[in-house]
Amino acid sequence: MVPTSSVSPPETPRRNTLLRYLAGFWALILASYALAWANVPLDRFPDTWYLGLREPIDAFQAWVIGHRATHPAFVYFFEPLSDAIDWALRGVEGQLLSLPWYVVVAFFFLVALHAGGLRTALVAGAMLLYMGLVGLWAESMQTLALMGVSVLLSLAVGMPLGIWAARDDRVDALLRPVLDTMQTMPAFVYLIPVLLFFGVARVPAAVATVIYALPPAIRLTNLGLRQVPRAALEAAESFGATPRQVLFKVQLPLAMPALMAGINQTIMMALGIVVIAALIGAGGLGREVLIALQRQQVGRGVEAGLAIVALAILLDRVGESLSRQVATLPGQRTRWRGFALLPQSWIRFAWARAIEEGLRRLGQGLLASARVLARLLGWPLGNQAQSYLVRHAYAVGSLALLLVLTGGGAVTGWRGFPPGWSLDLRTGVDAAVVWMRDNLYQLGDLPIGTGPLSDAITLYLIVPLRQALLRTPWPALVALAGLLGYRLGSWRLAWTGMGLLVGIGLLGMWDKGMDTLSQVLIAVLITVALGVPLGIWAGRSQWGHLILRPILDVLQTIPSFVFLVPVIMLFNVGRVPGIIASVLYALPPVVRLTDLGIRQVAHETLEAAVSFGSTSRQLLLKVQLPLAMPTILMGLNQTVMMVLAMVIIAGLVGGAGLGLEAVIGLAKNQTGRGVEAGLAIVFMAMWLDRLTQAWAERWKPPRGTA
Amino acid sequence: MSVPNPSVKVSCRGLWKIFGPRPELARERAEEGLDKAQILETTGHVIAVRDVSFHVEEGEIFVVMGLSGSGKSTLIRCICRLVEPTYGQILVDGQDVTAMDEGRLRELRRHRMSMVFQHFGLFPHRRVIDNVAFGLEIRGMAKEERYRRAREVLELVGLQGWELYYPQELSGGMQQRVGLARALAVDPAIMLFDEPFSALDPLIRREMQDELLKLQQVMHKTLIFITHDFLEAVKLGDRIAVMRDGELVQVGTPEEIVAHPVDEYVQAFTVDAPRAKVLDVASVMHPAAESGLPSNPAPYTVAPHTKLEKAIPLLVQEGRPLLVVNEQEHPVGYVDWKAVLTALGGA
Ligand SMILES: Nc1ncnc2c1ncn2[C@@H]1O[C@H](COP(=O)(O)OP(=O)(O)O)[C@@H](O)[C@H]1O
Ligand SMILES: [Mg+2]
Repeated sequence: MVPTSSVSPPETPRRNTLLRYLAGFWALILASYALAWANVPLDRFPDTWYLGLREPIDAFQAWVIGHRATHPAFVYFFEPLSDAIDWALRGVEGQLLSLPWYVVVAFFFLVALHAGGLRTALVAGAMLLYMGLVGLWAESMQTLALMGVSVLLSLAVGMPLGIWAARDDRVDALLRPVLDTMQTMPAFVYLIPVLLFFGVARVPAAVATVIYALPPAIRLTNLGLRQVPRAALEAAESFGATPRQVLFKVQLPLAMPALMAGINQTIMMALGIVVIAALIGAGGLGREVLIALQRQQVGRGVEAGLAIVALAILLDRVGESLSRQVATLPGQRTRWRGFALLPQSWIRFAWARAIEEGLRRLGQGLLASARVLARLLGWPLGNQAQSYLVRHAYAVGSLALLLVLTGGGAVTGWRGFPPGWSLDLRTGVDAAVVWMRDNLYQLGDLPIGTGPLSDAITLYLIVPLRQALLRTPWPALVALAGLLGYRLGSWRLAWTGMGLLVGIGLLGMWDKGMDTLSQVLIAVLITVALGVPLGIWAGRSQWGHLILRPILDVLQTIPSFVFLVPVIMLFNVGRVPGIIASVLYALPPVVRLTDLGIRQVAHETLEAAVSFGSTSRQLLLKVQLPLAMPTILMGLNQTVMMVLAMVIIAGLVGGAGLGLEAVIGLAKNQTGRGVEAGLAIVFMAMWLDRLTQAWAERWKPPRGTA
Repeated sequence: MSVPNPSVKVSCRGLWKIFGPRPELARERAEEGLDKAQILETTGHVIAVRDVSFHVEEGEIFVVMGLSGSGKSTLIRCICRLVEPTYGQILVDGQDVTAMDEGRLRELRRHRMSMVFQHFGLFPHRRVIDNVAFGLEIRGMAKEERYRRAREVLELVGLQGWELYYPQELSGGMQQRVGLARALAVDPAIMLFDEPFSALDPLIRREMQDELLKLQQVMHKTLIFITHDFLEAVKLGDRIAVMRDGELVQVGTPEEIVAHPVDEYVQAFTVDAPRAKVLDVASVMHPAAESGLPSNPAPYTVAPHTKLEKAIPLLVQEGRPLLVVNEQEHPVGYVDWKAVLTALGGA
């Protein structure tokens, strides 16, 4: 009844053979060697091409320092801004430190209790107690203040931008590449320009944190608003809602889950930068870790590192349960919570019921006495006020409790964390380090132990690869980048890659860049070699999934540099600890995404394969892995980016290469040097990011047009 | 145009909707006679609605039907300008909707027109009662008042007691009742339905259709109803417009369309129609003017608008042709088995 046009398959693009590329590559290599042999110096990037960015930048910095007090840009913009941020930081920090410690603990406990139940509350309390017990209460509060202020600022800037981007496609198109680039940049990159304009101390640290944590805030707000079903928007519009009404009555409420996820990610990003921020004088926990790393006081580093982890866990858990509460659509939420404090499932225990009953009575008693009190004061509670109190009983009660506790603190004078309560980890850790150095470094004369492992990695992986990269004539490497780009993506990607590599050379960072590249490649290689099999295991066996999940969860909340602390105690300083720490840091996404990719394969597809008699191995190799490939490659992309983010941190423990340059630039206030190294890392990150993304894209099955 | 007919509620004149950056090019092509597919091929523009004109009378149920992709949703969205028409005019109560500014358009949507959507378009974050009261809330009506009205409408659609649930806790049929209630709550003169029952099970669908007809008997609103289901169109429609590739190919009463489809496309829809229920004797009879009258008619006569399903038992009983008589009892033609069978056979 309807004419259907006959369907002929569209032409499939011709696949270029790998062979042709290889031939081209070898031809280039041979050509370069021939040139080198003919005494054209190609093994080093020509010095004369050096752009010499360093000097103008340093000159600019000198100018800034000289004009900070006089130039209008500073007098009317940067300085007031800086003062305002400083004022906020001081205020929050002062508040946190002047409140008795147990009020802070009680506050988080109560919030966590409300959001996530008793388990979350206990975890939150324990994390805070740990910070006090290891004697880092003040430092922790400093870091918490820095984080709190930065995150709030990030959200204050990011959410409106996200809303704007969601409502205007041009803004979105404009912001997208900027955010993409920002997200490939390691945290410290922001420190350098910020230092120029805000000087050294906590303000630039806060500004850098704000900028670093901005992309997820913008992105997820935008995403959340855009994900709101068109049908709902259309319906609202069809009833004559104004754009403002659509935003506030439909879009924002429906975007809540994504908004909360954005806030959570913003917090975690901000936490990731605290140690690095210590490099420019942010103080707090980061400074403790940094000092411990520099002085190789492993015990001290472990204590402070764990305090950061504790902070991360605290904010992550509380944030997540808050967002879960908001994110669950009201209809799915239990409309009635029988138990106020204990898990509902404990209802079978008589004592739990008794406690809850007691709490209920207590609440009623309090309400009754509030009523009496109000009447005595000649200010009877109206029905509305009463129902308000009942509905918000938890908030009102908590507030009252906190006020009482604070008042009590003022009366008794208890404020700081009691010095007598302490937990000494460092003695034990230091002893363990000594023991390990003596015993694990090498087992007798056997080639077993961390020493030989470290040597082996150095000898058989790092050195050969670095030498190869350095000895290969640079044009051959650039050409190789082009070939890879073309093969995995397009001509555009090829040119971009070649441009970025040459850029590294022009910055005068070719040799250091190749050193870093070799470390990055090795770390990625090891990560993938460990992570993919683990992911396959987790994807195919329920056991693997169950065992690995909690481990990955913990690994993922740990900020990158914390991994260095245990690693240096086993591997000393040098390139190897940086690599090992990168591997640990970057492992979770590969495992997780491989697991996910394999689990995503449709059940029917598997059944079909099994029905044809596939063995388990055939199932894996012919069905599961190919279908999981795009997801696994996304994991690879994340791994590469995470390893790159570790580059600077590896520089802290002798990783050499670009990371070390950047650290020196930052620490010695040689901004030009820092900028050059930083830019080189950014170039490398952009190149590897595009490359791995293009690769992942290629594996995606063609989308249907129907 | 001549003097507007006061009973015309909505009219569409030369309406076009072309998706793409340079609609004038696509329109030129269309006027040269290229069809939708060719225009898409050569210019990359989608002609979703192509030179459509029609009138909807006050109190009428006007059904638009066609295959998916034929432009029905786009057409109905042009009427309330959820989709901006490219060319043409839409008149509601004689006012040109296409010329309205933001404020007037909003007034129109808030007070005179409301819409029921195919996938319900409910707000998952609002309770049923807040969904229903949405249009009133948008207008700025006070909470007590709009809740009172929402309760009334919920009762009308048989959902009392469900006020405090969330839409996703309700079954599909109930969700669409909420959608219907939401549209009714603002008491519009015109209601637009974009395939409202297509996502429902056949049984529920029939129930909803019956209910809509029942409501319409008391409401007397002007309904524009989109469907791709011919049976639904026949059941609900006072008139049916059939769309293909953005064009209206035929507009008429259900009988006219079943009895005299203009082309194969329209006829294909009518194949499944319960012809005996749709066709009346007037549309199948041998007219007296052409065939004269039979010599031995049955003792019973039938009125021209008698449906075939009523006439067939009489034919069976009598075995003789039936005379069709007008109001003055004057014979205008007759039906016999041949006429009935030819019509039922889908000629
Ligand atoms: N926003 C849009 N952009 C481009 N083409 C569209 C858009 N909306 C609809 N179309 C096209 O317009 C035609 C009519 O669509 P639609 O009105 O949804 O048809 P129906 O409701 O009859 O299924 C289809 O070819 C569809 O692909
Ligand atoms: Mg449609």
